[in-house]
Amino acid sequence: MRKHALDGVRVVDFSWIVAGPTTTRMLADFGAEVIRIEYDQTLDYMRNTPSVGMGNSPNVSGTFNNLNRNKLGVTLNVMHPDGMELLRELISVSDIVVENFSSGVLSRWGLDYEEQRKIRPDVIYLSLSGFGHSGPDQHFTTWGPTAQALSGLTYMSGLPGEDPAGWGFSYMDHTAGYYGAMACMMALHHRNKTGEGQWLDLSQVESGIPLTGTAILEKTVNGRQYRQKGNPPGNRSPNPAVAPHNTYRCKGDDRWCVISIFDDQQWAAFVDALGTPDWATATRFATNESRVQHQDDLDMLIETWTTERTPHEAMHTLQAAGIAAGAVQTPKEKVDEDPQLRHRDFIRETVHAEMGNTRFEGQPMNLSKSPWELRLPSPLLGEHADYVYHQLLGTPDEEIARMAEEAVF
Amino acid sequence: MNDDQRALSDITMLDLCDEKGQLMGKLMGDMGARVIKIEPPSGARARSIGPFLNDEDDPEYSLYFWANNTSKESITLNLESEGGQSIFRQLASKANVVLESFDPGYLSSLGLDYASLSADNPELIMTSLTGFGQDGPYRDYKTSDIVALAMGGVMHSCGYDDVPGSPPIRPSGGHGYMIGAHYALMGTLMALNWRDMTGEGQYVDASIHEACSCTTEAAMPQYMYNGDVVHRQTGRHHGVASTPKTLCATSDGKFVNVFAVFTSLHAWRTLVTWMDSEDMAEDLTDEKYLDMAAMRTRSGPEVSHAYDVLRRFIASHPADYIYRGSQERKFPWGVVRSPDETLDDPHLWERGFFEEVEHPEIGQSFVYPGRPYVFSKTPWQTRRAPLLGEHNKKVYGQDLGISDTELEGLVSSGVI
Repeated sequence: MRKHALDGVRVVDFSWIVAGPTTTRMLADFGAEVIRIEYDQTLDYMRNTPSVGMGNSPNVSGTFNNLNRNKLGVTLNVMHPDGMELLRELISVSDIVVENFSSGVLSRWGLDYEEQRKIRPDVIYLSLSGFGHSGPDQHFTTWGPTAQALSGLTYMSGLPGEDPAGWGFSYMDHTAGYYGAMACMMALHHRNKTGEGQWLDLSQVESGIPLTGTAILEKTVNGRQYRQKGNPPGNRSPNPAVAPHNTYRCKGDDRWCVISIFDDQQWAAFVDALGTPDWATATRFATNESRVQHQDDLDMLIETWTTERTPHEAMHTLQAAGIAAGAVQTPKEKVDEDPQLRHRDFIRETVHAEMGNTRFEGQPMNLSKSPWELRLPSPLLGEHADYVYHQLLGTPDEEIARMAEEAVF
Repeated sequence: MNDDQRALSDITMLDLCDEKGQLMGKLMGDMGARVIKIEPPSGARARSIGPFLNDEDDPEYSLYFWANNTSKESITLNLESEGGQSIFRQLASKANVVLESFDPGYLSSLGLDYASLSADNPELIMTSLTGFGQDGPYRDYKTSDIVALAMGGVMHSCGYDDVPGSPPIRPSGGHGYMIGAHYALMGTLMALNWRDMTGEGQYVDASIHEACSCTTEAAMPQYMYNGDVVHRQTGRHHGVASTPKTLCATSDGKFVNVFAVFTSLHAWRTLVTWMDSEDMAEDLTDEKYLDMAAMRTRSGPEVSHAYDVLRRFIASHPADYIYRGSQERKFPWGVVRSPDETLDDPHLWERGFFEEVEHPEIGQSFVYPGRPYVFSKTPWQTRRAPLLGEHNKKVYGQDLGISDTELEGLVSSGVI
């Protein structure tokens, strides 16, 4: 009985660290059978960040568990001829192959797209690399922050006049992973329609650039560079030019809320929610244009109100008046306190063989007929050898024993 | 080019989204779906957001609208009129997908919720993208891009540790909405595969708050598994413990982002040899710097001295020299470019990334950023964003068979 959106789709997953595993997490959460292929001599770096108090096992990383739930895992040495043969057999019974190595690695293994097609004519092959598989810099490599820097995203984040603040995490590992999942699913749809597979060449740097589309058009249409006074805009909103729109200090140590007001009607509701303090009725704040002009003063005055309140008190008071305001939430607040995330069952739990009960961030979309499901924790290193090599590929037990002896996996 | 080669050429979508969800229709349109953007007769609000062509505040000249609405058709329709609702029902009865981002409950107050639309069209997929989802205590809370990034925890991780008193920073450019749209689109494509397999449509309820909440990398597992709360650091990863600053200033007023300095002895020696070849390694050739395991702990005078020497080396060269020189030596370093500086990168042009998009009514074509992925068989193809109501005749006349006289009546009664 079909239950998940991607039931019946099998994925051979060579991906590691964050970007590729983000793609395959999407596919696995919605029902695809994702089989991670790992090499036990070069572990996924994410296996090397054990959770506190859990010892040194490769199976106790929280980050790895969160990213690789719902996947199966085997180890394999593809440099051994028998290992390569097993891999080719596995590709022959799979729908999608995903890797995020530097460009050229799969070709060196003799498994570029043309070769994969010979094994599985309708294979969908996603390669997710820093710069793509063509062009003069294809052998350059990226980490998430490299791609963010090169695509223009780092520069767009910060206070005017200061160094870039950039992104405090590998945003482009997430986002390239999302585009990888979209590409796989669009290619699946095309295959459902025509029976045809294809090769998807995704460059992490390129997938970041369209996110800056408006800034690029400013240059190509109006000839205006982004590097100019006032950019980046901090937490203000130059386009549309509205005020107030900023972060505001709240009660507590380094606690903040955000308030964003887009028109005069919202401003009136805001003033009302604050109890109509004298400063707020000054003529210089009466229209949006004038508020934008005087926003330095305006922001200071608003802070006299927010500093008396916690971020959540400020948010609830303003939201009750229909104002788009929010607390700058900490991870602790998201996990332990956010009533919306709790209501939506966002944090899920399941038992992991070495870590016991473990928690996971959820999926933000509910599909009414084929929802995502937390079925499995992340695989222990080599956990599913019997299922994959014996049950799925039919390798006899004595052969498996011999291969284990010869370090094929 | 034959349209049938495109991955989504068989899909017709109705796009009711505002700024929150407009990216979904663009990405599907660029892959071949027929995307009909339904705008109020006065035009989508995004058309009023600048910058504008030649700084002229005109609904056809918004570069923000252009960037996020390529490859769509546009019709005008007043959904709050009875005539408008009846036309929308007709369109939805023939569509494959409806995308919307109204406040929860709005479409059902017009009788246009999924249950009633799918009654005539059980294969229909409908995706709703909202600030907080269709139910729960925050369902009716208002969102904005900065609210999404604050509540979801993105801002908690972004900002400065060396600018006293500075707030968390929202990376600018509309990413809160884009993160929501990316997830809502993935949900829509999942639903499409389900439909391909079963012939059944379904409803997709996507929450921007949750989308941002799972786009913060280690912040969540650090707390869920270790009980640690990460803090923000200038231009680099959030951390539980402080790490050395990775942004290094260059001689031309830019920055490069420097990592993996102590990953292996080979990498370290490669780097020191590079600096030494320009007599700038100072004392880093000394063997007391060779204990990589100790250097990786990222504290102590040797580490900060090594970074100081490295910073001096970098500060005496232009950014591009350091970028290319480091990459040729297998370091994953990058230049912090402004977005338009990507236009100067020959690698991107050689891969055919940028493309010219024609704007015939202006008599010009402009360079746009191109595709986020290259499909070997099904092409990406971009048309400029539609003019307001540009496709009224095509959709109402040809698709629905409404006569010219009837159309005039619908215009004068404010339905379209």
